[in-house]
Amino acid sequence: MGIVHGEEMVLNIGPQHPATHGVLRLQVKTDGEIVSQITPYLGYLHRCFEKHCENVTYEQVLPYTDRCDYLASMTMNFGYVVAMEDLLEIKVNSRVEHIRVVMAELQRIASHLLGLGAFGLDIGAFTPFLHMLRDRERILDLFEMTCGARLLYNYMWIGGLSHDLPIGFVESTYKFLDYFEPKIDEFVDLLVHNKIFVERTADIGVMPQDVAISYGVTGPNLRASGLKWDLRRNDPYSIYNKFDFEIPVGEGGKGTVGDCWDRFYVRVLEMKESIKIVRQALASMPKEGDVHQSLPKKIKPPIKSIYRRTESPRGDLGYYIESDGSNIPYRLKMRSPAFTALSVIDEIAAGWLLSDVLAILGSLDIVLGEIDR
Amino acid sequence: MLKALDGDLDSLNAVEDRVLRSKAKAALVKAKKDPSGYKAQFLTSASTDLNPIIEAKKTVAKIETLNSKIKKLSMISFPGIILNDDVELFLQVSPVNWYSFAGWLKSEPSLAFDSLQCQTGFDVGDEHLEARYNLHSMSHDHYTEIRIRVSRKEPCIPSVEKVWRIADWFERETYDMLGIDFSGHRDLRRILLPEDWEGWPLRKDYQVQETYHGIVIPKMKEGWE
Repeated sequence: MGIVHGEEMVLNIGPQHPATHGVLRLQVKTDGEIVSQITPYLGYLHRCFEKHCENVTYEQVLPYTDRCDYLASMTMNFGYVVAMEDLLEIKVNSRVEHIRVVMAELQRIASHLLGLGAFGLDIGAFTPFLHMLRDRERILDLFEMTCGARLLYNYMWIGGLSHDLPIGFVESTYKFLDYFEPKIDEFVDLLVHNKIFVERTADIGVMPQDVAISYGVTGPNLRASGLKWDLRRNDPYSIYNKFDFEIPVGEGGKGTVGDCWDRFYVRVLEMKESIKIVRQALASMPKEGDVHQSLPKKIKPPIKSIYRRTESPRGDLGYYIESDGSNIPYRLKMRSPAFTALSVIDEIAAGWLLSDVLAILGSLDIVLGEIDR
Repeated sequence: MLKALDGDLDSLNAVEDRVLRSKAKAALVKAKKDPSGYKAQFLTSASTDLNPIIEAKKTVAKIETLNSKIKKLSMISFPGIILNDDVELFLQVSPVNWYSFAGWLKSEPSLAFDSLQCQTGFDVGDEHLEARYNLHSMSHDHYTEIRIRVSRKEPCIPSVEKVWRIADWFERETYDMLGIDFSGHRDLRRILLPEDWEGWPLRKDYQVQETYHGIVIPKMKEGWE
């Protein structure tokens, strides 16, 4: 007796679908209600990032990195300037490093807030999304104080920053942190232990550790699978080795290690750790220091290639830069964390119900701007 | 379970627990998809708990000494696969045995490169294209870079998507941008550009096609207007 196939059906989710968080098409093969295969089709948002980079100078690449992951522009800038400063062997002063860390961690909170809110929204919890957007707004206000922009900042420059902190920024940030810290517990009550939410996420879409490593999944998704791997600790860049913070990992609080609920909860805990880092960085920030002190007059790196990774809210953000000695990059490749996270979807979502696929996709927290580049 | 594999789902549907039922069905779908257990062979590497190893590891081996170690070790099973004498920054590998060499890099216990960080396609100019692999080992916490150079006329590199699963999409991207043909890849199609796009955009001699589905593609402008 051979294998009897049920009624097989091909469904398209997207390109225009609220749950795909952008323009992404998932071709889903279903057997009854069970999903048997998922084929993602990318490229709807392809803007030729790498081709553009080969035509503009190193400074002009910076605004493009903003637009790749538009929900975490600060950390995208951060990764690029860290790689470029390694290539040029520039050292920036301590005030600049502290401001960068503050910005990057605030950005991590903002990005996680949106990611978590949208994840709740995907599976039917509407209210938390509004709460999270309300608090994200306050972070955007802080960013607006520093550089005028609310989404695409272009704030970190190679060798410095575009502006120094404005008067009153430190006080406002402390005020925000004091306001925000108790709010996290509110989210936990609202969503994390909500029975409906737990039913929809616990034990769903389990990603074992070896699968995650083989698929190159990094960041919170890898940590949710139980591996304590964070570049801020394991391969420290900037001044992250000065700060004291924990690396939360998934422990299977409501089900199996590496399920959707773990991926959600790891991000909640990470926001708490980011608050800790921001507080420490603000407390130890030197009062004096010119943010334009180490800006190079002209950028002409030596003939060399470099691969540098930093921890963006979505995982390892890598830049491979090859310089031929001129002021234009010969080749610049961005290793995007969401790209690798999306590639695992067929492996972990096959076999689940169609409605679970959306929960799994939401839990991976992808941004299409960065996948398509 | 075996009954279900033959198409009899009634016994499976009779299971009361929803979670158990969907897990069984997930296993079933995987078994159907992959009858020979083909995927299982490369996903079982990290069965040990890596956390204590990562915690204990504080000193990072320098890439230079690591590369010469790899070269020395490879002499036994893969003599002559590493082409460059000066291995300070990277290893230049010949494409011929690359697939089995990659498998060895992953399985050799003292190297254990279990994660492929990044793959970059690269136009060297002249007559060659290159693929560069940035490898990392989670358990040993060391890095290396491997470069494989092929001729522009016949750019063909064995695919390593069976060794590191992420290479599947990385190779598709490199194929999309530079037209390097990864032999043995099961699903080599364009990933970011449309299926019917002509040419390989990241090659330095790339000419933009004039029209696409009847739409005229604007020429790149020189200087300021």
